[in-house]
Amino acid sequence: MKKRIAGLVLSAAMAAGLLAGCGGAASSGGMSGEEGKDAEPETTGENTESASSDTAKKPYEGVTITLWGGTTEFNEGFQAVIERATEELGIKFETEINPGGTEGDNIIKTRCASGDLPDLSAYNSGSLLTALNPKEHFLDLTDEGFMQNVDDTFKSVVSQDGRVYGAPFPTTQGGCVIYWKPDYEELGLTVPTTWEDFVANCRKLKDAGKTPVELTCGDTWTTQVLFLGDNYNLISAEPEFAQNFTEGTAKFAETEAAVRSWNKYADIRDFYNADASAATYNDGITAMANGEATHWFMLTQVIPMMVAENPDCADKVGVFAIPGDDPDRCGLTVWEPGAWYVNRDSENKEACLAFLEFWLRKDNMDLYINTFGASGPSCVKGYTLPETVVPAIRVDMQQYFDAGKTIPALEFLTTIKGASCEQITTAAALGQISGAEAAKQYDDDCKKSAMQQGLNWN
Amino acid sequence: MQKGKRRKISLYPIWFVLPALTIFGIFFLYPIVTSFYYSMTVWNFDSAIFCGLENYRMFFSENELSSAVVHTLIYAFSTSMLKVIIAFFIAVFLCSRIRTKDFIRSAVFFPNLVSMMAVGLTFSYLMHPTKGLFNAVLTGLGFAPVDFLGDVRLALGSIIATDVWKGLSVSVVIYIAGIQSIDRNYYEAAEIDGASRGQCLRHITLPLVAPSQNTIIILSLIGGLRSFDLIWAMTSGGPGFATDVMASVIYKQYAYGFYGLSTAGNVIMLLLISVIAFPLQHILRRREEAIV
Repeated sequence: MKKRIAGLVLSAAMAAGLLAGCGGAASSGGMSGEEGKDAEPETTGENTESASSDTAKKPYEGVTITLWGGTTEFNEGFQAVIERATEELGIKFETEINPGGTEGDNIIKTRCASGDLPDLSAYNSGSLLTALNPKEHFLDLTDEGFMQNVDDTFKSVVSQDGRVYGAPFPTTQGGCVIYWKPDYEELGLTVPTTWEDFVANCRKLKDAGKTPVELTCGDTWTTQVLFLGDNYNLISAEPEFAQNFTEGTAKFAETEAAVRSWNKYADIRDFYNADASAATYNDGITAMANGEATHWFMLTQVIPMMVAENPDCADKVGVFAIPGDDPDRCGLTVWEPGAWYVNRDSENKEACLAFLEFWLRKDNMDLYINTFGASGPSCVKGYTLPETVVPAIRVDMQQYFDAGKTIPALEFLTTIKGASCEQITTAAALGQISGAEAAKQYDDDCKKSAMQQGLNWN
Repeated sequence: MQKGKRRKISLYPIWFVLPALTIFGIFFLYPIVTSFYYSMTVWNFDSAIFCGLENYRMFFSENELSSAVVHTLIYAFSTSMLKVIIAFFIAVFLCSRIRTKDFIRSAVFFPNLVSMMAVGLTFSYLMHPTKGLFNAVLTGLGFAPVDFLGDVRLALGSIIATDVWKGLSVSVVIYIAGIQSIDRNYYEAAEIDGASRGQCLRHITLPLVAPSQNTIIILSLIGGLRSFDLIWAMTSGGPGFATDVMASVIYKQYAYGFYGLSTAGNVIMLLLISVIAFPLQHILRRREEAIV
């Protein structure tokens, strides 16, 4: 409450300061006075000299687009791209910051309801987008030229009633096994395509005196990756699971393939590092980057960071998908990136569409990735990651995309995710509860979320 | 005490109590009453849907929530008991004629000067399975390392031990005050009658220190029932749900956005503390009155 009041007071002060400072400067973005909003307009490339000489080349000179997004979206890569857009297209940008989390969700819902959306909003794909009822508020992008190359999996998580509403951010990420290649070479192991092979590899590594699996319970969220990343195996075995689960007819504890995901924790319990119960995410990064452990179930978002901190490991870490039971059906669970959504009632629709086309142009995606790094292949078909990206992403992860063997994580397929997921996966990982008990407990946990969303699950 | 006097000369008009009562009403009574209503709804900041006793049913039927009630009781009773017993002997020792009394008294009181979060973090590092000091000592002595906070069976015990280490000092201070206020004549009389030191302790010190003991029991028990910070700093309720207590569970449900459920948890905690604390206080007071 205190924070909220402080937020209001601060944003009021900022708004007042802005009015006093900028005098009569024209601002197309309405001052909605929402807390946490960054009232500082961020205009880039205000080089009047070049502007006047190149007017002919810049089709959108004088247009200012308002953007809304979080600090994650507005990273260095994004900054580099919008600077170039101002130079080439003449579009100026005004950004407003999404404070993130539930607060951000409430802001965008309010702005949808009051018709006060910015021209472009950067927001999650999947269940959070569905909650906004996109067809009421956003421009239909299905037939736009720049969307034709976007892959269908991504389109499915920004669609409603078969129409597509979002243009993607550059890179996806995968929930997979990060592994230390030198250990595999040393023991002559091959990348496993079945869970059995994986466990066999772990046993060989253990016999050779290695730490086969890094587990980092010190940051409990990390333990979820094995379960969430196993979604490919679950959905490929039970294609209807997500839908039935949302309706309350399918349960984890009653679905064989789902219990299988939970049981995987028990299968590898002998292979953990000695400090598994206390190691943190950062301990995991250090252990993997130095070859102290061979496998780690982790999201590929860790790779750019790992390589930035330990440049030597760039060629030594690889990734593979969490194996299932059928070698021919081995694929990767993917977290789709967030997307840009165009305000349906914007006055600057043409400029917005031109910007999105610019955004998805190959050279601009290269610019973004070279500046910021990549956590996975792009969801634009035919786009190859630049050479600056490490082989773990550019080669190992890319192959699943090229073969079409990817399925989005469960949170993109249903609106329900258990809030205590990470506690349950930790308990399962440390052997506190069996796979079957964990599945049952997770069902109970999801029921709470369902109840909160007003779904009838009885 | 001065009842007769007060009745004759009413010094202050009754409405002097109004400001305090208003504040008490707004900030204590009103929230308690509304929390009973909201605990029976699924609510967010826009709306509240009435759902009867569903939240309570869920709280007790779901393992991760109901186990928290059990952990809370184990935690509160064992920390309280250990503090009452251990602190008594330390206090007796510190009241005897020893030379370094003053120094030991300050040393015993020292843990209480450190903040709970700092204690929690320090002990979680000391108890680290591979890098912690405790395990370095254990392995140095030839024992197998112990995963104090990662082992489901040990985690709650490890936190209880830390809480006792930290909370002992206050109990010792209360006991010392109690012991010192005992009239020396009793001991002298007993000595003349040939009582041993053990008998003095059993039949003089123990009964006469009862008022201090009751204070310690009540304080440490209520403190234990609503403890949160130490557990949060050491394990955040983990591994899994092995050290989740009422307060940490309520906090988590609120953070997840299950406001109704978290309100129900608060009501349960309020009732639990009341049900334990009020009768206990009554019993202890009668014990006290019987002695004095």
